[in-house]
Amino acid sequence: MEKEGLGLEITELRLGLPGRDVAEKMMKKRAFTEMNMTSSGSNSDQCESGVVSSGGDVEKVNDSPAAKSQVVGWPPVCSYRRKNSCKEASTTKVGLGYVKVSMDGVPYLRKMDLGSSQGYDDLAFALDKLFGIRGIGVALKDGDNCEYVTIYEDKDGDWMLAGDVPWGMFIESCKRLRIMKRSDASGFGLQPRGVDE
Amino acid sequence: MNYFPDEVIEHVFDFVVSHKDRNSISLVCKSWHKIERFSRKEVFIGNCYAINPERLIGRFPCLKSLTLKGKPHFADFNLVPHEWGGFVLPWIEALARSRVGLEELRLKRMVVTDESLELLSRSFANFKSLVLVSCEGFTTDGLASIATNCRHLRELDLQENEIDDHRGQWLNCFPDSCTTLISLNFACLKGETNVAALERLVARSPNLKSLKLNRAVPLDALARLMSCAPQLVDLGVGSYENEPDPESFAKLMTAIEKCISLRSLSGFLEVAPLCLPAFYPICQNLISLNLSYAAEIQGNHLIKLIQLCKRLQRLWILDSIGDKGLVVVADTCKELQELRVFPSDVHGEEDNIAAVTEVGLVAISAGCPKLHSILYFCKQMTNAALIAVAKNCPNFIRFRLCILEPHKPDHITSQSLDEGFGAIVQACKGLRRLSVSGLLTDQVFLYIGMYAEQLEMLSIAFAGDTDKGMLYVLNGCKKMRKLEIRDSPFGNAALLADVGRYETMRSLWMSSCEVTLGGCKRLAQNSPRLNVEIINENENNRMEQNEEDEGEKVDKLYLYRTVVGTRKDAPPYVRIL
Repeated sequence: MEKEGLGLEITELRLGLPGRDVAEKMMKKRAFTEMNMTSSGSNSDQCESGVVSSGGDVEKVNDSPAAKSQVVGWPPVCSYRRKNSCKEASTTKVGLGYVKVSMDGVPYLRKMDLGSSQGYDDLAFALDKLFGIRGIGVALKDGDNCEYVTIYEDKDGDWMLAGDVPWGMFIESCKRLRIMKRSDASGFGLQPRGVDE
Repeated sequence: MNYFPDEVIEHVFDFVVSHKDRNSISLVCKSWHKIERFSRKEVFIGNCYAINPERLIGRFPCLKSLTLKGKPHFADFNLVPHEWGGFVLPWIEALARSRVGLEELRLKRMVVTDESLELLSRSFANFKSLVLVSCEGFTTDGLASIATNCRHLRELDLQENEIDDHRGQWLNCFPDSCTTLISLNFACLKGETNVAALERLVARSPNLKSLKLNRAVPLDALARLMSCAPQLVDLGVGSYENEPDPESFAKLMTAIEKCISLRSLSGFLEVAPLCLPAFYPICQNLISLNLSYAAEIQGNHLIKLIQLCKRLQRLWILDSIGDKGLVVVADTCKELQELRVFPSDVHGEEDNIAAVTEVGLVAISAGCPKLHSILYFCKQMTNAALIAVAKNCPNFIRFRLCILEPHKPDHITSQSLDEGFGAIVQACKGLRRLSVSGLLTDQVFLYIGMYAEQLEMLSIAFAGDTDKGMLYVLNGCKKMRKLEIRDSPFGNAALLADVGRYETMRSLWMSSCEVTLGGCKRLAQNSPRLNVEIINENENNRMEQNEEDEGEKVDKLYLYRTVVGTRKDAPPYVRIL
């Protein structure tokens, strides 16, 4: 538990958005508690938080702003529900998050979190691991020498060859991934890569 | 009664069903105790460490159904570290060794392993029903054992468990001869499902009444499944994201229209709202609707659906419904008994404009006279609203209010919410469960101690001023069984005032309060029938030193009554005094 006054607030882990005005929130909270102290006429020791403790140490939560995301286990929503109603799990959202990955010849789809890869190399490795087949990833790096080709559906609904655009742009627009056999790809209508014939 | 032969008395006892009543009759005299023991079929154990399997089996050798609960409630909110305990394996091993004819096992907040499931599946020839709620530690391999070996399986109900999905073929493991399924719920499985195997299973289960699918079961499969099982009473829809083509939609509608017995709907884990109209025809029959995981059903789609559910008794919903939506519920669902409104924005990252307030709560209380259970997460509350709610609904049995921001006062008067909650406990004479929140002083606990005579479970967070608060509760609420407190300034004086009291309760939890190690030691000293557990995850090293600081505050205290002494399976960071 944190002790008051060690100035450790700055090292605290926060879940809230960066750049929140910490001081402002603390002052708002004090205003409440000061009002409460005067109206209830409590004769216990005044302390910063307004919550009196017999020991003298201030309760942990009162050292920090009242931002609800800070406190462990609060709000009291059970952890299964927290994990499963997290908005990032929605696949209709474009960009970072889970996208569906299909592979020709495999009867079921997989889902992977694009946000957990750092770049195309990482993605290559992750795809190999996902399907347990080596060589998918090679397609991303060394386009022409591989059995598979990795394509993705972008925000506009077009199917694009993965690897052309910078990584950041790719994860912003990728809605789903598909690993196709190169032999099937020729008639597919991919946007051309370049004029290299 | 003493002039009747034992068989007659036993026959009479068959009509006594509730656990409380059976416990009472066993106390009447020795002969009744004996008859009751041997005729007892169902046993409920609220804390798996209060007793051990050997003593259970010794007393009830003919038991067929066992319910066990493991971790304390606050484990749901990540306040209890992993590996704390609650292992089911020793129970299954003991039951198997003693050849108990187990048919039904219901577990909540326990650690279940594939090994235990395998042993379970092989040890009890008549095993029929497995219900796991908020458990963890197993994979789909364990489910495969159950499917393979339990020849007479009727029920496999997995609710909100953490299951490692190995994407195996567990559904395929049900033999073709298995036709006895009544209830199958695998909504919490995260992986892909063998839909073909599922369809075959459903087609050969004419008694199937309850089917809850996971995310991986798509729309067209849903239509086929419902066509095979028009007798369904309870359905959990998996997902269907893409808007269906007219043909698929028509097939779904046809299938749903035939399900005239459907009374309960849940799931909709990923849904294109345009698919909802397929369900309109059966809405008028629904008594239970759980849309608390359906984040994508909002606004008008949601309202339209609810307006058709005139017979609803139970509704679980997200706060995105808004106060306006709750007004619609109040106008439509006159039979409503239970309402749960969950927060859609759990991490506090967005300023949730659509969240519910006291307005929605008052509307529901005014419109739904049969309401007796409520769980309500909201961003603000007022005393006036709570007083109105108390007046409108004096029949509450369960009242759980969670104001999202700790210490938040009445947002109009800036006062504490003592008077509001006081009105609730005073009006609702049958109240058994209460959770309080918002800015609260010792006064609210004075009210609770004074009026909440039937209260069995109380959850307190960020409330109170002094030890008096906790003392009012302990002195007043004679029927209290479970008391859980976090982040409140109650200390040793309250803890130690009446140590004998704790043997009349199932358990007490106190975390981030003011109790010290010294206080806990004193408590444990004269209480052989209490286990006093101190959980200090980060203090591992500290405790090995010779000088202990008795003034050191205890991070988490969990104490419970037990007849079997200290448990042997606690991890190193749990210290049992």
